[in-house]
Amino acid sequence: MRKAVWILLALSGLGALAQTQVRISGWGGTDIAIVNGLLKEVVQPKLDKEGIRVVYEPIEGDYTQWLFNALSAGTAPDLFYVDIFWSESLFATGKVEPLDRYFSKQEVAEFLPNLVQTFTYGGKLYGIPKDFNTLALEYNKDLFDEAGVKYPDQQDTWETFEAKLRQVQSKLKDVAGLCVVADFARFGPFAFATGWKPFDEKGQTVLDQNFRRAFEWYTGLVRRGAARFAQDLGEGWTGGCFGGEKAAVALEGAWIAGFLRDKAPNLKYGTTFLPLDPVTRKRGNFVFTVSWSMNAASKNKEAAAKVLKALTSPEAQQWVLERGLAIPSRKALANNPYFQRPGKEPALNRIVFQGSSAQGGVVYPFKFRGYGGDWMRPINDALLAVITGQKGVDQALKDAQAALDRLTGRK
Amino acid sequence: MRLKARTLEALYALFLLLPFLFTLLVFFLYAFLRAAYFSFTDYDLFSPPRFVGVENYLRLFREPLFLTALKHTLAYSLVVTALQTLFALLLAIALNRPLKGITAFRTVYYLPSVISTAAASLLLLWLFQRTGLVNQGLSFLLAHLPHLLALGLLFLAFQGAQVAWARRRGERVAFFDPALALLSLPLALLATYALGLFGVIGAQEVRVEIPWLPTTAKFLGIPYPLWAIILMNTYTTIPTFMVLFLAGLKGIPQSLYEAAALDGASPWITFSRITVPLLRPVLFLVVTMGLIGTLQLFDQVLFVGGSGGAPLEATITLAYYVYGNVFPSGAAPRVGLASAAALFLAGLTLLVVLLQRRFGVSERGWAG
Repeated sequence: MRKAVWILLALSGLGALAQTQVRISGWGGTDIAIVNGLLKEVVQPKLDKEGIRVVYEPIEGDYTQWLFNALSAGTAPDLFYVDIFWSESLFATGKVEPLDRYFSKQEVAEFLPNLVQTFTYGGKLYGIPKDFNTLALEYNKDLFDEAGVKYPDQQDTWETFEAKLRQVQSKLKDVAGLCVVADFARFGPFAFATGWKPFDEKGQTVLDQNFRRAFEWYTGLVRRGAARFAQDLGEGWTGGCFGGEKAAVALEGAWIAGFLRDKAPNLKYGTTFLPLDPVTRKRGNFVFTVSWSMNAASKNKEAAAKVLKALTSPEAQQWVLERGLAIPSRKALANNPYFQRPGKEPALNRIVFQGSSAQGGVVYPFKFRGYGGDWMRPINDALLAVITGQKGVDQALKDAQAALDRLTGRK
Repeated sequence: MRLKARTLEALYALFLLLPFLFTLLVFFLYAFLRAAYFSFTDYDLFSPPRFVGVENYLRLFREPLFLTALKHTLAYSLVVTALQTLFALLLAIALNRPLKGITAFRTVYYLPSVISTAAASLLLLWLFQRTGLVNQGLSFLLAHLPHLLALGLLFLAFQGAQVAWARRRGERVAFFDPALALLSLPLALLATYALGLFGVIGAQEVRVEIPWLPTTAKFLGIPYPLWAIILMNTYTTIPTFMVLFLAGLKGIPQSLYEAAALDGASPWITFSRITVPLLRPVLFLVVTMGLIGTLQLFDQVLFVGGSGGAPLEATITLAYYVYGNVFPSGAAPRVGLASAAALFLAGLTLLVVLLQRRFGVSERGWAG
């Protein structure tokens, strides 16, 4: 009898040993339900055969701080999210495992090349993009109809787009055309459309005439009666104004869909591309993306790689896409029937998906070398100062250039 | 035998203090020593710390943002400590009167300090929006400036007439005699209302749209957003210090006031010669706690800068500078620099408190 108990115990212990645990982490909020669903329905069933158990530990609070601390202290999970914005400063630490060994060239080629490029640092691939976002132009159909103005479309240039906004704002007294924010994350695409580059060959930032042209157009929208300043409407982002019907147009990515679903479920909106620069006839955009990356100190790298593959597999991305939760990073899903479904959300997701391609125009990833927020701050301050009328364009750009020179070491 | 009992007692004391000592050692002493060590190194949490001597401290004083933070911190600390001490003292004296229902007033006046800083900051954001209550209130006041002027003049006229009449009858009345004002004010209100009704004076169209938060404009060398934080913080900290003052006031023997009253001392003399000197220990506590608390201003900066849209250079303080450098958004941690700034802040706090004790209020009396 006693022997039998021992054997049972030993067997159960073996069973536990045979099962490799892989810890994964991402941020909390609405993401938790998505990852849990994905794990339960797609990923874990596939891994059960291999004897791998995924332990999901979402992090509420400041994820970046947590991850940097955990990696430094050696308690980080095997797989974790890396946001493109702070990716370079993390990859530079050597705490993230290069993935070239685990993924064949063919496997990597199945992902959108510009996303793969953004997670490549020093010639090595440090993350597999799990999804991405770009900016699109959402417009409130009812408000445009009420004002009797044509919807914005993809032929619009800054000028024709602005004219439509002005008409809406003057016809509907209490609605702004757009609510502008003093944020490079929204202004950037317009600067990119002019051909301006955030960094030159020497790694320095020059706010040239092209930048100035975009800057003058964007900051002048309020003065010319086409927009209002978001903070003046009591909002912090263009989506907030849009959802509250305080503005007819928003400049956001696919993340606005979930917000509108809760805040304004009956709001009828359409989506189109950002307007074209009237001079270059091009548009610009940002790519916001997140990868699954591997801990260089992980004890089960082979198992972790299998989990990583399952998390970014075609089935997993299909599952996420069909629920309208995120835009897939795989090329093959571009022609997924989901994008052709009727309705406002598939249309929004389609435009956002195409925003990263040739149709998106000049597209840059949302990262600024290792400088991060320090690089954006001078430009944001300049946008704020001009939009609120505290500085002229000349002075604001001069101050911003001086601050950027201090940062990048330009004489 | 006696010695043994003493040793035993000491051992017991040590034993009972152990949990506290342990946390103090781990979370204060150890952390402090680590920070002191890091402040002399270049460290990003990942590669091993590299010793750089006092380079971090020198770099601090070359950073414009740090100098701004230092200036803000000192200005904020002085202004808020002065304001909150003064108003807390005045409120405490007012609430120390033996009036009916004074407990209700004490409760009401204590309420602001119950608000969490996050909630208070949110209130602040709404109050100081371009279309917020502050701008609306100012617009209303300025729009009704004619009314206010008329009210003031009429009040003075009615009061003057009453006082003149009373004096002619040989009564000795002060100009602002409250009993007479009680009649003058309603009369002036009525007359102003009548003037408005007949269209002699009318409201102007005034719209104050000062962007209080998203701005770098300054007043008396302090940016507007920081002024907003100053107002908010003074408002929420006054009650706590008021309670301390109230406790102090209760400790002053009533007989002193009675003696002063018998000698014919004026209220000001009673206040400056009895109340304030006897409150010195409490005053010292309040000023010191005020200074230490204000030098560490952090959360409001986070909220007002985040959702309020205030630019960093208009609100940054030393504590925020430290935080911003340990975890700069999108960049590698600058632990060495942040540690240096943190130690500087600690040294500054100690220095300010010592200076205050030496030249300002000390627990025993006015220095010098």
